[in-house]
Amino acid sequence: MGKRMYNVLFHTHTVSGIVISVALYIIFFAGSFSFFRDEIINWERGHQVEIKDEIAINIDTALSHLGQQYELRGRDINLRHYYNERQVGVSLSASKDSTASKEARVGAFFYLDTEDKSTATYPESYTLGEFLYRLHFFAQIPYPYGYHLSGFTAFFFLFTILTGIIIHWRKIVTNFYVFRPWAKLKTIWTDSHTALGLIGFPFQLVYALTGAFFMLQSIVMAPYIAVLYNGDQQAFDKALEQEHSTYEYSHRPLSGIESLSKYTAEVQSKWIDFKITELKIDNYGDQNMYLTISGNIDPRNKMNGIGKITYKVADQNIVYEKNPMEKNSYADVTKNILSRLHLADYAGYGLRIISFILGLISCYVILSGVMIWLVARDKKSVSDKQKKFNQSVVFWYLAICLSMYPMVALEFVLVKLFAPAGMTFIYKTFFIGWLVLSIFFAWKKNNAFTTKWSLGLGAVLGLFIPLVNWIESGNWIWDNLRLACYDIAFIDIFWIALSVFSLLSLRRMKQAIVLDKKSGKTF
Amino acid sequence: MPANPKYLAQSKWQRFAKITAGFIGGFGVSAAIHIVLAIWFDRSIVLITSSFSSFLLWSVLFVVAYIPRNGWRVWAIYLSIILLCGAIVLLHQ
Repeated sequence: MGKRMYNVLFHTHTVSGIVISVALYIIFFAGSFSFFRDEIINWERGHQVEIKDEIAINIDTALSHLGQQYELRGRDINLRHYYNERQVGVSLSASKDSTASKEARVGAFFYLDTEDKSTATYPESYTLGEFLYRLHFFAQIPYPYGYHLSGFTAFFFLFTILTGIIIHWRKIVTNFYVFRPWAKLKTIWTDSHTALGLIGFPFQLVYALTGAFFMLQSIVMAPYIAVLYNGDQQAFDKALEQEHSTYEYSHRPLSGIESLSKYTAEVQSKWIDFKITELKIDNYGDQNMYLTISGNIDPRNKMNGIGKITYKVADQNIVYEKNPMEKNSYADVTKNILSRLHLADYAGYGLRIISFILGLISCYVILSGVMIWLVARDKKSVSDKQKKFNQSVVFWYLAICLSMYPMVALEFVLVKLFAPAGMTFIYKTFFIGWLVLSIFFAWKKNNAFTTKWSLGLGAVLGLFIPLVNWIESGNWIWDNLRLACYDIAFIDIFWIALSVFSLLSLRRMKQAIVLDKKSGKTF
Repeated sequence: MPANPKYLAQSKWQRFAKITAGFIGGFGVSAAIHIVLAIWFDRSIVLITSSFSSFLLWSVLFVVAYIPRNGWRVWAIYLSIILLCGAIVLLHQ
């Protein structure tokens, strides 16, 4: 690689990195916590979920409870396991029956608690776990702008890591062993940026690609639909095996609906380790009533084991079957792998803990990149005005990024103290608190101060988290472990570990600053 | 460090040409190549593969757009690839 090309690519790496840095940091930071989305939610609610990765309610029980509140005849009913929470998502279509009451002619979406059988709307069951999860793709910004913003951030991130690996290519082996933590701060930034960037590269590549896929799929697929399918979305969906089958309503009632759980039992005995994640009933109570059971084999046994079966209830015949025990189709495998790789939900706690650490390492790589950008421009040839501008950019960047840590910790404390917190409460406290803290740190104009106080505040608030949980629930970590409430115990232990790590880094940081002062350099 | 400015494109128009060629042109080339592949080979397999390969190709084309000295040349090359693919699509219809 020639000198010109090296410098050109170096510059594109710097500029693209600086432009996306804050958005990318927020995505990685909130995203890292999202690996524990379900644990956070169960911790917040004080729930323990025993049956995971599948619908934890008998279909007949669910229907009888729904039937008490809603007139079900003529509706399409969809029960869906989204996450490992106690509740399942319920979606009811408007009744297709012309004799149905006015109330039955409107659809509904809500959650059904699998234990106490209560129902709740989406805002009612909003939690901190959901908030952090949605923050990592900017869902709080109105659709589709938030989604596209995060998607393009992922795409430009792909560009940044590609140029990063290219410019680092020749020094990849030699520099891997170069780490001069006791030299000066600038070499700490550069050495750690390249070493950790390289270690994190495969991880980051996967997340950039899958993240872009999730958020920008509609944009990259648009030309194919237009050219290959003449704009016919349905034909395109069919080719990608993502069409939804619909069944006509016959207006002939089905006499006496028998138990549907025999179908789910049949599926589970037929397909070993099959986890039902979706139950779909078309035309409830009609001669054309169909039951579709979808799910997958436990990924620990078969990574790509997507299965689906449709019964016609009137004659109990199977009208469609996708056997999960057999080799899955290419479409199913690709979609399954892309989402499993992103969610890291196929290998238990270990994988998610490693992913969390790699996510935080990515956060570090982003911020060290910003610091390199700053110190590399702190030289005589740069005008004072430009230097001042660069400095204030970094003051703001660090203020916004680093204050996320104490804010997240504080939010854990708040949702427990003011339970049930709900959507408005979380929005208000988190965003206003974050804004105030960012403005305060930016106003202080001291990067060391911002870093120290963010870490310190985060660590102290983090230690309060198990304490608040004890005050509110009366259970310490060991109580929760004894009660087999592993999700709850996990969050307490997780925050203690994070706090201890933050305090240790803080101690190291103080030593580094003292050392740097000795060598007469400031940053 | 930082990049030596003597190697970088100085003109704003050049910068504009490279960014647009990489971002818009790169997207177009990636889409066009995938469409041609979808016509030649199994359509659904190509389209499903494109859910990740299109981003990879697009981002590589974005990087490549910065290599030539003249950004308009990149536009010319990318546009001719798109037109060539367009011609293949028309021939197959």
